[in-house]
Amino acid sequence: MADDVDQQQTTNTVEEPLDLTRLSLDERTYVKMRNDRELQGRLHAYDQHLNTILGDVEETVTTIEIDEETYEEIYKSTKRNIPMLFVRGDGVVLVAPPLRVG
Amino acid sequence: MSLRKQTPSDFLKQIIGRPVVVKLNSGVDYRGVLACLDGYMNIALEQTEEYVNGQLKNKYGDAFIRGNNVMRNWGHCSPDPEPCCLEYSVLLSPQHIFLLLVAWKLEL
Repeated sequence: MADDVDQQQTTNTVEEPLDLTRLSLDERTYVKMRNDRELQGRLHAYDQHLNTILGDVEETVTTIEIDEETYEEIYKSTKRNIPMLFVRGDGVVLVAPPLRVG
Repeated sequence: MSLRKQTPSDFLKQIIGRPVVVKLNSGVDYRGVLACLDGYMNIALEQTEEYVNGQLKNKYGDAFIRGNNVMRNWGHCSPDPEPCCLEYSVLLSPQHIFLLLVAWKLEL
């Protein structure tokens, strides 16, 4: 009986945001970082600081160049692939399931 | 539109499940339904939309936002045509960070 109550409490209490990211473990995940960087990779591990281990990750760095003559903004993105990556948590802005283009 | 004094945990219980705007230091807006929130201001949103100047990306399902990025001082919200707008100010964390969350009715 006590076990049932305990089990009920663990499922009924409001889960923390970190509990929800736990659901994404071992799934492909999108991570948005500071300095206009985005990562898409398999979430292997994370902690309360959002330090993250990502596998088979593609990093996209977006830069805006301003043409000196026309003053138009040119968006450029650079991609690179990394088999296994440790990300320090303070750079992480957002963690979500992979983006669908469109 | 009244500022009510209530304990932070009461406020959190009240706004969970409501549509909210989360404004980050970088100026990016995230609009979605508040799934949960913790003491570090880490936020989990559902049905999230990201706004940078104009609409950029759509995120469905949970989006987790790290607390340190949430804007600390948000003096006023941008004019919003939606008639139903509730403003709350809440005191969170020992450093006395003020967070203004604006809950409004999403156009369905």
